Amino acid sequence: MSWRQIYLVLKREYITRVKSKGFLAATFLVPLGIILLYGVFIAIFLWDSEVTYEIGVKDETSQIVASLQETSPQRYLDMTELEVDSLRTLVQTGELTGYVVITEENLTENRPLELIYSGGGGLALLSSIRTDMREVFRQEQLKRAEVTEEVQQIFETRIGVESRRLTEDGKETEDDSAFLSILGVAMGIIIFGAIFGYGGYIMRGVIEEKTNRIIEVITSSVKPIELLTGKMMGVGALAITQIGIWLLTLSLIAMAAAPIATLFMSGESTAEQMAAMEAAEEELPFIFSIPSIETSVIVYFVIFFILGYLLYSSLFAAIGSAADSETDTQQLILPVMVPIFIAYGILLHAMNTPDSMLSVIGSLVPFFAPIVMISRIAMTEVPFWEIGLSIFLMIITFAGTMWLSAKIYKVGILSYGSSAGYKDLFKWIKQG
Amino acid sequence: MNKKTTIEVQNLSKTFGQTKAVQNVSFKVEKGRIFGLLGPNGAGKTTTIRMINYIITIDEGTILINDQPVSPKTQKLIGYMPEERGLYKKMKVGEQLMYLAQLKGLNAKDAETNIRYWLNRFKAADWHLKSVGELSKGMSQKIQFIATIVHDPDIYIFDEPFSGLDPINSELLKEIIIELRDKGKTILFSTHRMEQVEQMCDDICLFNNGKVVLTGNLRKIKKDFGKNTILLEYDGDGSFIDDLDDVRINNRSTNFAEIRLLNDQDPQAILKTAIEHAKIHKFELVEPSLNEIFISTVGEDNIKTEEAA
Repeated sequence: MSWRQIYLVLKREYITRVKSKGFLAATFLVPLGIILLYGVFIAIFLWDSEVTYEIGVKDETSQIVASLQETSPQRYLDMTELEVDSLRTLVQTGELTGYVVITEENLTENRPLELIYSGGGGLALLSSIRTDMREVFRQEQLKRAEVTEEVQQIFETRIGVESRRLTEDGKETEDDSAFLSILGVAMGIIIFGAIFGYGGYIMRGVIEEKTNRIIEVITSSVKPIELLTGKMMGVGALAITQIGIWLLTLSLIAMAAAPIATLFMSGESTAEQMAAMEAAEEELPFIFSIPSIETSVIVYFVIFFILGYLLYSSLFAAIGSAADSETDTQQLILPVMVPIFIAYGILLHAMNTPDSMLSVIGSLVPFFAPIVMISRIAMTEVPFWEIGLSIFLMIITFAGTMWLSAKIYKVGILSYGSSAGYKDLFKWIKQG
Repeated sequence: MNKKTTIEVQNLSKTFGQTKAVQNVSFKVEKGRIFGLLGPNGAGKTTTIRMINYIITIDEGTILINDQPVSPKTQKLIGYMPEERGLYKKMKVGEQLMYLAQLKGLNAKDAETNIRYWLNRFKAADWHLKSVGELSKGMSQKIQFIATIVHDPDIYIFDEPFSGLDPINSELLKEIIIELRDKGKTILFSTHRMEQVEQMCDDICLFNNGKVVLTGNLRKIKKDFGKNTILLEYDGDGSFIDDLDDVRINNRSTNFAEIRLLNDQDPQAILKTAIEHAKIHKFELVEPSLNEIFISTVGEDNIKTEEAA
């Protein structure tokens, strides 16, 4: 292998792609899209409470409805005077979302309440009504039982659970589990997308050289393995450039996020919005202040990104060389797509249980590892031997796929006319 | 004349699965000559050329370029224009030629000089910044020539160079080939159209069905076959030609026929018959055409052609 030739191929692949309009658009539109998404995310968080559902309450005990209205005056309307029939009509005509009849039996015998409603409002409405009802009923029952103030207070208590992580060297750190889960999944998804995106670049590049018929001119100067290596390195450099720009933009956004979010609000923030914001901050603190990411996680991300890219791009190149046009690739590409999607499935599983058997095995299998392992590393403490083994297995597998792909590629690029099937691929491997 | 051998092919064989594409082929290309590789489509010409260019591996036999076995090093001595031609559509002409020249081992400065020279020579100096996709077919063919010769190699290989060329570029390419030969360069080209070879080649090698059937100096081969072909130009009813015995009619139009004499048929007898039936403008006894030589060497029934895709 001649490094000069590889370098020339790499340079061409990189420069022609980096200058292309598609690359520029993707590189700068994606962060813009993320900012937009971020804005939408905040907006949804702040304004989803605006829709009100009106529930008519026919309270035959006449003790419940007042407390309900205290809880949520817009939602619960006192309709004790109306007959059930007219309540039904109101629901049917859509003037009410639903109604509840509360009788003495509900209170004393714990008979379940019946909410008759139009079906609007979704699960969120049902569960919030349920919460409201339970709370009000409990208070009323406590009141009737004439328990002391002290006991009443006991029922009011909500014990909090704060969590901090204890690291190996004995330091307690702020627990960012929620943030880290999202970070882990995000990293997995970035690698998932990159494998498809850049693998596809490679595949289309190979097909283009075949359909342009330039491949034979090139192979009269460059060995197929040099061409393949140069191509993979060129697109790899492109990937690193693009991801680098994205990460840089994202960290800038992260730094600017809190001030922007505040700016967003300050104009016309009502007390209610402020409250919503506080609630949001409590539940998802990282929207407003992004915790720092450990350097080791970033280093591992780069390692798994590169290994995952190499592993799959060599396969994509082989498929490209066997096909005669992009439409021909569909049947060949399936066995490459399946492991990527399985890995994606395991990633979603690992999000909740990063230490389960499936997650651990998934993070060791080379074809799943780049997507699964990186998210586990971000989410949980992964023993070093697992990470090491995973990287080792990926390198070995990459050597294998590269060897196979080089053989297929060597024959494939010069066979025009008909698309190859699996039988042909095996023949080529034996031939090479 | 300096009889140094530039390309030497010895007992070359190549098999693809069940197909024996090339079987025990040997020939020599001498320095400073134009060598024609002839034969029908599917005869093994392209496979042989690809092995000379070190694009595909050799199963058996050897190929020596300037006495060295083929390798990435010998690749750089060759300018190759394949039958399947193409360029990167989105790349600019200048960048593209620079890339290809550098792959052939030129440094950027020499490459730039050569690119300028050839673009000027083809009156294409202002194409430097155009992308290939913008060029017409004829224009991109010219760029393809430059891509082949830009690194100023000693050996040039053209696979079916005239297929798909417009007449202007065909002439241009012939000029280039003759000019290169006059500069002492060695040229090997393949074609299935025999008549092109007659005008240009010094030496030939005839391929059929993966094997060499005839190789050597074109003049000598023709002379050895003797003057046994009649070129006949006439006016009037030509149907008498169909009734001739012991001849093969190769080329025929309403008032012209190329008649190959077989089994020592007497040309005078044919002239006599011809005069009886038509008005004769020309009757000439010549050496056979290359096509005729090919047919009579291989035998009419043994010519296997495979339609090009």
